Amino acid sequence: MLRRLPYRIQIPLGLALAVILSVLLVNLVSAQIAARNARQDILHTAQRVVALLAAQGRPLLFQDDTWRAFALVKSATTLLPEVAQPHARAALLDAQGRYLAGSDPLRLPTGVQALGTLQGGRLLPTASDTAKARLLGSPGGGVTLLEPVRSDDDQILGFVLVDIDAPAFKPDWSALAAPALIGAALAMLLLIPVGWFMGRKMARPIARTAQCIAEIGRGDVARVQQRLPSVTDPELQRIVGAVRQLLSEMMVRQANAQRALSAERLAAVGRITAAVAHEINNPLAGLITAVRTLRLHGDAPEQRQRSLDLIERGLEQIRTMATALLPQARVEDRCMTERDYEDVLTLARATAAQYFVELEGQIELLHALCVPSVVMRQVMLNLLLNAIKAAGQGGQVNTQLRSDEQRVRFTVMNTGGHLGAQELHQRLHTEDHNDPHGFGLWICHEFAVRFGGHFRTLEQSELLPPYATGLVFEMPNQARQVTDT
Amino acid sequence: MFVNARAAPSESLRVGLTAVILADQAAFLTRWSDYLSARMGQRVVFVARESYQDILDLLFSEQLDAAWICGYPYVLHQHRLRLLASPLYQGKPLYQAYLIGRPDLAGSAWNWGALKGRVLAYADPLSNSGWLVAQAQMRAAGLTARDLRRSFFAHSHRNVAEAVASGLAQVGCIDGYVWETMRLQHMALIDSTRVLWRSDWFAFPPLVARVGDNNPALKALATTLQHMVDDSQGASLLQALNLSGFAPARVADFEPIRQLARQIGRVEL
Repeated sequence: MLRRLPYRIQIPLGLALAVILSVLLVNLVSAQIAARNARQDILHTAQRVVALLAAQGRPLLFQDDTWRAFALVKSATTLLPEVAQPHARAALLDAQGRYLAGSDPLRLPTGVQALGTLQGGRLLPTASDTAKARLLGSPGGGVTLLEPVRSDDDQILGFVLVDIDAPAFKPDWSALAAPALIGAALAMLLLIPVGWFMGRKMARPIARTAQCIAEIGRGDVARVQQRLPSVTDPELQRIVGAVRQLLSEMMVRQANAQRALSAERLAAVGRITAAVAHEINNPLAGLITAVRTLRLHGDAPEQRQRSLDLIERGLEQIRTMATALLPQARVEDRCMTERDYEDVLTLARATAAQYFVELEGQIELLHALCVPSVVMRQVMLNLLLNAIKAAGQGGQVNTQLRSDEQRVRFTVMNTGGHLGAQELHQRLHTEDHNDPHGFGLWICHEFAVRFGGHFRTLEQSELLPPYATGLVFEMPNQARQVTDT
Repeated sequence: MFVNARAAPSESLRVGLTAVILADQAAFLTRWSDYLSARMGQRVVFVARESYQDILDLLFSEQLDAAWICGYPYVLHQHRLRLLASPLYQGKPLYQAYLIGRPDLAGSAWNWGALKGRVLAYADPLSNSGWLVAQAQMRAAGLTARDLRRSFFAHSHRNVAEAVASGLAQVGCIDGYVWETMRLQHMALIDSTRVLWRSDWFAFPPLVARVGDNNPALKALATTLQHMVDDSQGASLLQALNLSGFAPARVADFEPIRQLARQIGRVEL
């Protein structure tokens, strides 16, 4: 529970606890020592009291002066330690061993025989057996001191008796504990605010470091690093140093990431630029052919009109294509028709003728056709020109446009080298987007992804002889949705 | 003023005090001596001693001019002493001797035979109430000193009360006036004592001087004491003494004490 508390509370509490434990331990040890010493102190004092009573009591015993003997023993008893006084008694006894006067007359009654009788559970020696000073102990721990008082001519005038009960030797725990408790209270009064201050001082750099760590990833790294506290404590220095190093590395990584992002953006811009150039360039060959046709056969109205329509649709395609290549652009496009397919074949024939490639096209419409015309024209043109170039001199290219209720599929097959699924994947994901073949395929792939279609190679088993490579581009047929709604 | 007898200046009137009053109240005695000095035009100093014999010795050796002693030493030395004044207690120059004991002894009527085997405290061997009266009563009861477990002198009436209260003695002979004054002053030890027996009335301890000492200041002292009741300061001092005043003393008033002394064979008269 203590560990869950903040340092500014944990430290003063810990200090207070340490003080209390120390006080208890010191008190325990000192009590043991005090208990041992107290017995010796009391005995030494009692022996001095006996000596005093023997000296001062001699004339009183000689005069048999009970009152002055009483005054003497009463005042002499006060010389004993205060804790022992309730359990200690002193008396002057006459020569026969009877009480002349006792400090507590009710317990030590004047005129009553003391020596040779049982007193307080202790059998005292007779007067004749007390020729010398005696220290009598009892099983309970009490002691009785007896000393004869002699005249100048060595006659026994009486005796001094000091009787101390066992409880007098027991340590006074409350008296021992009181100063210790007062000391502990004073120490706590001092240590709690000091501990609170120290705890707060200690916790402040830790809290600031923790706050900085919490801000990592959310705030500016440089500012977070500036806010890290300056510390002198070696342990904290290690922590703060580690955080500072982490932040430095993060700053380096962020700079690298920023540079990478910038480079990526530049690369993306380059790719788009190249793609636009490529997609514009593709229909240009067909359009140039149409212009040439127009120049040669422009006098024939039908031929002229056909060429102009072709040129117009081609230019429209370029414009729409350029717009469509911008990811954030929303392109309004019409549904593709059979004429678009024919236009693409027409535009590609010029290139096919250059390479002496035999170009065949089939159309199989099982359902009304509705896919974005520009996209589909661009895809078909890209794939067709790629196939012509891949087929090479004297090669064969076969295309097919097929629609059913679900999708519209454009298939192109060519002779020449084989392009498998693995190679297509590599082409699409290569970093080198300067490859003009790769651009056309990448554009087709992007369109397929964007419009929810597919772009793939045909398996060997799907290819018709003599074709070596086949590509399929599919898009959802939107004519179904229009019909449904 | 309250001084040592030998240190007092020769022109001062030196008055000895004994345990017939609570003479250990130094502040009161200073006020009283100042009062008397102012009224008499002569310095009055009080000299206190624990035992009656000490005061008598000082008086007879002319180290004191007057003394406040008990009636018993007066009758013992009547031929050498003359009466100056007699204090009035409750309006009369009389007082009683008390026998006091611990509370457990109080109850039924006191029988002096019950003293047998007990410890008895006396005040002073020259005290009427603190020794003589008890001696006469014991003799009348057929008791001797051997019948007591022990007896001792406590050297003052106040000490007798303390000896009984502490249990040092089981019974004690005390001046009734002193015991009543202690009770009036709410002294705690009085609560641990009870009056077991009261004597007949005896002449109150008188102020005396030596026969043949014609110092006129002694007459002035007697007159001043008798007029204390007439002014508020004197009345206040009398109240502190628990006395009504002072009056001329009469020798005849001491006859009962003389009778007691005769009974125990201490006087030849």
